[in-house]
Amino acid sequence: MNSSSPVVLLVEDEAQIRRFVRSALEGDGCRVAESETMRQGLIEAGTRKPDLVILDLGLPDGDGVQFVEGLRAWSAIPVIILSARTTEHDKIEVLDAGADDYLTKPFSVGELLARVRALLRRQARAAEGESPVLRFGAVEVDLSRRVVLRNGAPVRLTPIEYRLLAVLLASSGKVLTHRNLLREVWGPAFVESSHYLRIYVSRLRQKLENDPAQPRHFFTETGVGYRFVA
Amino acid sequence: MRTEANSGRSTASGSSVKHYVFAVLACGLTTLVATPLREQLELANTVMLFLLTVALIAVRLGKGPAIVASFLSVVLFDFFFVPPRLSFAVSDGKYLVTFAVMLTVALIIGQLTTGLRRQAEEAGRRERQTRALYEMAEELAGALSLEQVVQATQHFFRHHLGTEVVLLFADGEGTLVAWPAEGAQAMIVEPHVARTVYDSGEAAAYGGLGSGNDQPWYFPLRGSTRTRGVLAVTAGSMRGASGKEDLPLLETVSALVATAVERLHFVEVAHVSQMQMVSERLRSSILSALAHDIRTPLTALYGTADSLALIRPPLPEAVRETIEAVRDQAFRLSGLVSNLLDMARLQAGKVTLRKEWQPLEEVVGASIKLLGPALAGHPVKVSLPADLPLLEFDAVLMERVFCNLLENAAKYSPPGSAIEIGARSIGDLVEVSVVDGGKGFPDDKLERVFELFERGTAESTVPGVGLGLAICRAIIDAHGGRIRAVKRPGGGGCVAFSLARGSPPSVPEERSSAEPDPS
Repeated sequence: MNSSSPVVLLVEDEAQIRRFVRSALEGDGCRVAESETMRQGLIEAGTRKPDLVILDLGLPDGDGVQFVEGLRAWSAIPVIILSARTTEHDKIEVLDAGADDYLTKPFSVGELLARVRALLRRQARAAEGESPVLRFGAVEVDLSRRVVLRNGAPVRLTPIEYRLLAVLLASSGKVLTHRNLLREVWGPAFVESSHYLRIYVSRLRQKLENDPAQPRHFFTETGVGYRFVA
Repeated sequence: MRTEANSGRSTASGSSVKHYVFAVLACGLTTLVATPLREQLELANTVMLFLLTVALIAVRLGKGPAIVASFLSVVLFDFFFVPPRLSFAVSDGKYLVTFAVMLTVALIIGQLTTGLRRQAEEAGRRERQTRALYEMAEELAGALSLEQVVQATQHFFRHHLGTEVVLLFADGEGTLVAWPAEGAQAMIVEPHVARTVYDSGEAAAYGGLGSGNDQPWYFPLRGSTRTRGVLAVTAGSMRGASGKEDLPLLETVSALVATAVERLHFVEVAHVSQMQMVSERLRSSILSALAHDIRTPLTALYGTADSLALIRPPLPEAVRETIEAVRDQAFRLSGLVSNLLDMARLQAGKVTLRKEWQPLEEVVGASIKLLGPALAGHPVKVSLPADLPLLEFDAVLMERVFCNLLENAAKYSPPGSAIEIGARSIGDLVEVSVVDGGKGFPDDKLERVFELFERGTAESTVPGVGLGLAICRAIIDAHGGRIRAVKRPGGGGCVAFSLARGSPPSVPEERSSAEPDPS
């Protein structure tokens, strides 16, 4: 653990959950700051300047939306939400407020670490400046030339398909809600037309995934939105 | 009150004979009183005495006796007072004028007086009726149950009209039920007449209203939104020509009763919905507390075991296997809790579907990814027709359906065997099937496996409590679809469910394909 290792702020009221998350994160080379309440969490976030926040939505004093909005007022650091199932609505609200990802309890530690790494990587990349060429699977996207290749052969995308792909790639690793994507790609008038989005994601999968029914990159977050993973 | 009510209306022959006798006696009495005074009184004054008698008779005994008394007075006056006395002969022709005037005045007095009397009686009757109606309205306003409404109505009819009444209300199935039940038998209420009145909202009676026979009359209890019931009353002792005069009164009473019944209905509705709200709030707060309190230790247990498996350097093989077993059990327990909570929510009937049009492929893919390790080596083959339309469903719930079906398929088929997900259009429906390589469901349980806590094989070594398929059915039912276990000739378990195709929204095509800049 040297000074360059990333700092993760863990906002969670259950001591047992804090314990294993902390040990897993420390095992992965992170430094961990903890807080038990959202109020204290916001203060910690201001003083410790963490690189990433893990926030439990079920805190007794908690309004996750307020926390994320408060944080987003001055910082763009990634936020991962821990939440119970059957609360899609709460998840969507927090994600729309600016959270990056969520995990449903109970969650696998391996999965949590993978998500943390992905977000930290994206953060680091953003700091260095994006490379115009992205690769995932057999696909290569050159953002500067607007060219998409699959196994070296050009793939023809419609303008909307391309815009959708670009938005997803730009937020690699992050969960994008239906509303969010519809607003970005189609415009604010279309935020309720989720079938547009679903059809276009399905077309992207047909064109870019090996098995569109079991995608490896364009994941569905059921009831919430989509996540692109390189 | 009953006798009071009857005295006003009864002109039955028995009492009327008595009235005529009284009239005759009164005239005789006047003659007796006037005879000794005839020396002192002028004949004109004697005439006055007779006129007074006629007026009194008209007031007390009515029109008929007054007419009789008028004629009798003239006769008695002629016989006992006009000279020559004790004979009908008249000495002076001027007395004929006296007789004529006396008779005319007596008749007019009788006429006017009985008219007045009748008006007074009518006013009194109206007042009593208004008071009785008011009392009934007050009682109805305070009524808290149908029984009390019936009692108040009965009281009014018995005491004010001297007749019996039966109210008929529709029960849960729409059948008209008589209150009180024994009253309906005594009165011979015809159910089909009552039903016609209830359905049409028009009053009716055998032979028409006001036909005055012993058959009951039927009045609809018309509320503001719909007819609430029927009021049946015997016409027997109604007033006026075959009771016609009481029709407006009966209609008023029916309206009052209808208002009371309607009020009770809305009170009931408000009460029920409030109860539902309270119990629903209680249920959901218990459920969410339960969900939180169980899930939190499970999350800790699962996560702790999982993090031990990641420790570097790796733990000894035996320890790692134990830890993985703990982790897997915790995960299964968590799935079980989720299923129980889902079932509780679904059974409460309070799950609101967030239906959206979407491709089936997406939710299938998400389910396969979610199950991940639980599919343990079973390859999943998804073969959906390319032209499968968008379907309208709640993605989160449909994910539960696929997860449960896939999990079942994996549990009940030999390791490594493939699971197939297919779909086909059948008319207005799309049928989706999940097929595994297992033994399939027992013949006698194809329906029952979808019941709560019912399992294909009762004492199976495969863990489970019989929740998964019950949840699937609850979800598919909520979508208006149908789920069934299918016996396949080639073996293998198969569960198929159908969803309506409906009319999916269209998405406008883009004009041309895009131009990745070739330069």
